[in-house]
Amino acid sequence: MNLGRIALILAGAAGLEFLFGSSPYRAAWPVDWLLLATAIVARSGGFGRSVLTGAAAGFLEDALTESLLGLNAFAKAVIGYLLAFFSVRVMFGGALAVGGALALCSLANDAIVAILRSLLLDSPIVLGTPYALWRAIATGATAGALEAAWSFPWREWRERRRLRRLR
Amino acid sequence: MRFPSARAEITSRPRRGGALLASVLVLCVLALSAQAPARGHRGSVLQSWILTVSAPVVRAVASVSRAVSGASSSAAEAWTSRDENSRLRARLAKSDEELLRLRAEVRQLRDERSLTAAAPFLPVVVGSAPVLLIERRAGLQSALVGIGTSAGVGAGSPLAVPEGLVGRVITSGRTMSRAQLLLDASAAVGARIARTGELGIVRGDGRGALLLNHIPTTSRVRAGDLIESAGIDGIFPRGIPIGRVGAVSPGSNLFLDIRVVPTAPFARLTDVLVLAAFPARDPAEGSSAGR
Repeated sequence: MNLGRIALILAGAAGLEFLFGSSPYRAAWPVDWLLLATAIVARSGGFGRSVLTGAAAGFLEDALTESLLGLNAFAKAVIGYLLAFFSVRVMFGGALAVGGALALCSLANDAIVAILRSLLLDSPIVLGTPYALWRAIATGATAGALEAAWSFPWREWRERRRLRRLR
Repeated sequence: MRFPSARAEITSRPRRGGALLASVLVLCVLALSAQAPARGHRGSVLQSWILTVSAPVVRAVASVSRAVSGASSSAAEAWTSRDENSRLRARLAKSDEELLRLRAEVRQLRDERSLTAAAPFLPVVVGSAPVLLIERRAGLQSALVGIGTSAGVGAGSPLAVPEGLVGRVITSGRTMSRAQLLLDASAAVGARIARTGELGIVRGDGRGALLLNHIPTTSRVRAGDLIESAGIDGIFPRGIPIGRVGAVSPGSNLFLDIRVVPTAPFARLTDVLVLAAFPARDPAEGSSAGR
């Protein structure tokens, strides 16, 4: 995946974050779009790009919302590496597997950030809140849906549909 | 010498004449037959033949012509209808856009009116600002608001809505600021129980609720009591509602465990009022601040 496409994915993810974040219904389906962007880059299997994309996405998130720059960058870089590792070395595919992995990654992101915040800012560790679980579900479900749409044989389906019409 | 050739010439002439005659006769027959009325009074036979022979060609040419003219006319129609369609679509899109803008303006005006209606009951209001993003992760509860130093907002400016206190600005840019919400696990505000006048500290639990600490077990606090800011922390002005007591239980040592339900609708924040920093300070003084 080239750098231009990565930049485009990141810009899209940031746009979606703002699009949903400024809505009063933001809590209805709180997808971690920047994590999805990291996962999309990691799907191509490039370790370096996955890590850099994760770091960039996390840094963007930190710059907008965190009091300490680097918490989410650290977490997302680790997650990017792990996702690239799994996508290369392990038989990894299918909407359910991808959705489950991304849901776990969302929780892992929270855990890493909570631990870092606790260590560096002496903040209480807050994990497993209903919102965090809901976000993990939303992120996992969205990732699963994207994976299903990505791997669906659209061309064959269209051809079959055309033949059915001709009959 | 000349005779034989003349004889040959004479003998060849009838043959030619016969052929010529036959030809003329055929032509005559054809001419006559052409002028003879056709059966059933459908015009002359020649005309009929001509028509019959030429019919396929004419039909083919006509069909081609009709096809071409039809195609051109339909293309022209399609072009004009497409043009008209696109014009109508553009007009519709423009109307939709205008409708959307007007609706948004009406809604914004309504929100602003409700905010400004509440403003006299609040301390000095710097302005209202839209909430651009809310992040809730691992105890962190922060918001991005669309107002900054250009509007006189600096670090420490409290944020509120008519229902109650929301948080405070932590870092401010020129047109955008990052705020810490009261629900943040690190947030705290000096509070007062409105009915009893007892002072305590309200802290966010990072999970969407508030806890009131340092209220002794001898307190007469009960569920439903209003908690408001006490103005003792040097950040938030006094008298702004924070929440209502949800549950009271005996805690460790000499203090009660009091859960407070925030009055501000944190789940659906769209706009906030930015209050003047308390105590009043120069906004340019702190464009960024720590946690």
